[in-house]
Amino acid sequence: MSGNDINRRDFLKYMGLGGVSAAALSGCDMPTTVTLEEGKETVVSYLAPEEYVIPGIGVWYASTCQQCPSACGVHGRVREGRLLKVEGNPDSPINGVGLCQMGQASVQTHYNPDRITQPMVRQGGDLVPVSWDEVWKLMQEKASNVAPGRSAWFTGTVSGHQSVLLAELKTAWGGDHFTYEAINNAVGEAVNKEVLGDAMPSYHIAKAKTVLSFGADFLGTWLSPVHFSQEYAEFRSGDRGVLIQVEPKMSMTGMNADLWVAARPGTEGVLALGIANVLLTKHQLDGASLSVAQRDVIAQYSAEKVTEITGVAGETVSRIAAYLKERSPSVVLSGASAHGHVNGYQNAMAIMMLNVLLGNIGKTIEASNSVMFDELRARTGSSRALLDFTKAVGDGQYDVVFFQGANPVYSAPNHLALSEKLSKVPFKVVFSMFMDETTMVADVVLPLSSSYEEWATHVAPYQPKGGAISMSQPVMKQLYPETRAFGDLLLGMLKHRGVEGYADFDDYYAYLRGVLKSLPASLKDGKSDDVFWADTLQRGFIKASASGSALTAVVGDITQVSQKPATDYPMHLVPSIHQNMWDGRNANLPWLQEAPDQVSKVFWDSWAELHPKTADKLGVKEGDFIRVESAQGAVEVQVYIFKGVHPDVVAIPMGQGHEAYGRYAKGVGVNVLKMLSPAIEEKSGEIAAYATQVRISKTGKHAKLARLGGSEYQMGRKLVATVAADVFRRTEGGSDVA
Amino acid sequence: MSLKNVLENWSNYRKGAEEGGHHTYEHMWGMAIDLNKCTGCNACSVACYAENNLATVGKDRMMKHQGMHWLRMERYWDEPDLGGDDNEFQVRGGSVLPMMCQQCNSATCEPVCPVAATYHTPDGLNAQVYNRCIGSRYCSNNCPYRLRYFNFYSYYEESWPAPLHMQLNPDLSVRDKGVMEKCTFCVQRIRTAKDTAQREERVVKDGDVITACAQTCPTQAIIFGDLLDKTSKVSKVWESQQVVLGKAKQSKENKELRGYRVLEGLNTDPKVLYLDRVREA
Repeated sequence: MSGNDINRRDFLKYMGLGGVSAAALSGCDMPTTVTLEEGKETVVSYLAPEEYVIPGIGVWYASTCQQCPSACGVHGRVREGRLLKVEGNPDSPINGVGLCQMGQASVQTHYNPDRITQPMVRQGGDLVPVSWDEVWKLMQEKASNVAPGRSAWFTGTVSGHQSVLLAELKTAWGGDHFTYEAINNAVGEAVNKEVLGDAMPSYHIAKAKTVLSFGADFLGTWLSPVHFSQEYAEFRSGDRGVLIQVEPKMSMTGMNADLWVAARPGTEGVLALGIANVLLTKHQLDGASLSVAQRDVIAQYSAEKVTEITGVAGETVSRIAAYLKERSPSVVLSGASAHGHVNGYQNAMAIMMLNVLLGNIGKTIEASNSVMFDELRARTGSSRALLDFTKAVGDGQYDVVFFQGANPVYSAPNHLALSEKLSKVPFKVVFSMFMDETTMVADVVLPLSSSYEEWATHVAPYQPKGGAISMSQPVMKQLYPETRAFGDLLLGMLKHRGVEGYADFDDYYAYLRGVLKSLPASLKDGKSDDVFWADTLQRGFIKASASGSALTAVVGDITQVSQKPATDYPMHLVPSIHQNMWDGRNANLPWLQEAPDQVSKVFWDSWAELHPKTADKLGVKEGDFIRVESAQGAVEVQVYIFKGVHPDVVAIPMGQGHEAYGRYAKGVGVNVLKMLSPAIEEKSGEIAAYATQVRISKTGKHAKLARLGGSEYQMGRKLVATVAADVFRRTEGGSDVA
Repeated sequence: MSLKNVLENWSNYRKGAEEGGHHTYEHMWGMAIDLNKCTGCNACSVACYAENNLATVGKDRMMKHQGMHWLRMERYWDEPDLGGDDNEFQVRGGSVLPMMCQQCNSATCEPVCPVAATYHTPDGLNAQVYNRCIGSRYCSNNCPYRLRYFNFYSYYEESWPAPLHMQLNPDLSVRDKGVMEKCTFCVQRIRTAKDTAQREERVVKDGDVITACAQTCPTQAIIFGDLLDKTSKVSKVWESQQVVLGKAKQSKENKELRGYRVLEGLNTDPKVLYLDRVREA
């Protein structure tokens, strides 16, 4: 046997020196073939593997998913130095074992073939690769002496210590900071703040017996979808809860509803008042939680009037009220399609009123969970940030703008003319992994490492189970040596600026270690600093809950002012949220392009959803191209026809239609966000994204729609059978078989 | 299993489940999928791409039904004759159905393979031997569920431009042109679990193996395990639903129970149990 061993060892040695890629052995660098003749790189032998690396055995490292702001905890499987797959971190207080399709595809963001690998600087109109020294020199020259108030940061949702460093930079520079998310819950947060005194309360879907959701796609895109999916499974077990979804276009949550209701867009608040009226009159609900004036407003909304305004039949309104009364407690949610109107705040207020009336506050809606450190909490984005920023840029307010985690050039509507206005900013620095539309207009491009290559802390905006600080650690070595972690760049900028207190930290890793050392002993469970650090990395998060103060329940003004439809543009445009693409940031991931949309089943394209009645009137069938035109722009797109959309609505998902952003995103579909109208939500100043009026016309062109599957119906084959909820409760009520 | 063995025992391999099949099974991997919990989010399907080196084929080939989605999420709209009131709107939402190879015990794909590239393993799996497959596609033609996927092209040439290829799972192969492939119930995970159990000198326990789809499911609607292990979670669901293997028609004591197998009447004896979708009347 010993002879064999020596032979094998020799064999491996030769393999290491010969034609086998060094990457397969050392496992970390880009695959390059190292040959004896060239002798270009240090040859790493199998016999001295890196620490923890056992060929053939996967090791799991905890980290945090960054595909959307929910910040789910993940475990990344690493084998021979390569990250292969991510799965939910079972201990995570956010998602548990589960992970959504975007999270699963996050490895494709990391390994994306279109990543930026080097810093770039605009020279003679083009972006050309330069060294970091040159970048820092240029930054020094152009950015470090900018006058107070003449610089700005434009980012997506930020949290944790990146947020702390950004705040420091902002103070040092005297600049502004805009946090922008095209998909946000800003109107809902504002209403929560007014009524509950808490912008982000906890919603307990699992405790509810009825969920009435006005456009909150909590299974797909709302706040923390994986967490809510977990709660949903519990909600549907045992004494199965009832889900009612009101929205102009069927979302994935709507697809799972017991009762799906299409109200005329923008009249969600009126429907809520109509439901309240039935509860107060027919069901004799105690209305003491509302003022007399509020009850008077509600009393105006008779069944006939509600039907006239919302288009929802009286018996449907009665049925919803009956569920809410009989199957208590309930929870009433509002989301993008109710918020995105000129009267979005009114809608959300009327919807929140139902929670107060039904006594849900303190039962299914409770005080928020948050981390005990204010400065680490997430700065959630809004679309108002984009409006304010565009205005400031148009006024020539900034000499320097830093962009990170947001792609406003892609998602800003045409009427804002953001691209033109940005040309007034002499020095635009973009921190980015990809050449997206915003990066294309940069003067300096700073290549970021992926979230699986960097140190970071994140704090999820929505904290389902106590407050927690999520950790990100490099699960593998950087793919590209010239990319930098966002935290390192922020630290570097602070050091360049000479801000006090940062000079001692070599890098962001050292800074985070220092920060964790300084955490109060109560969080460390009596562990030494080193043990606590190792423990935190292994767990992936630090529990640091602050107790929220009790919620108030003071309903504001619920008066509804109806909107008049524009006659030239009779249809409502719904820029729906594509669950794979999110706000467009996932359009460069081939798995998510190839994965069909959850509802329409369309892949690798955009489409417009029409109700069969509307399609008949227009004379179009599936696959026909229609022209959808607003006063601000037009798109031509194929139609998908189904009965999950209001007849006055044309729904086009956002996220496609990129003009840049790599091989998988560029030129796929259309960008519906460009044609949004200038309407804003009156109270919050948010973009009223669902308020655009359009007209549609036939183009005469036709092609087969890129959609999965043939028949939309089962043809009586019993592929999916349906049983009545009563039967389910009789056979499985109180027990969870699966 | 050697080819010799296949040829010598050819007639045995033709035995259906009614005749007791041909194996002394070591395991009988099966699933239960609760359509009351499944939301149709597609996370399972993407997790499958990540785990099993599934190629992305692009729009045109997807439109020719050449997508390699081993697990595809089907969606159907209600029909009035199934109790849906869809006169104006889809008021009861949609029906979703995650479909992967049903690992039939009387698999219609197995007997038609001219080279025994697809066969039944002692684990109760419907296996596909890539390097034996000659690409006749008879199996795919015979699968009533349309869950077999053929490599019409050398997808690896375009699907994983560097460095995307670094994500490929080394626990299983990347398939080349001319080969049929399909869901394996993550056989590489089963293999690992069996090896680990052997090394630790114990038997494989319930929970040792979890498929990528079941693992990631946000609602935990998919349960995977060994149907021979009567204490496993999946066995308990099958038992509670009064569905037994080896029957084309179930004789349930309680007719209201939700468990069923898709196209069971074809006598394919699938090992994926579905539990009915539930809606308020």
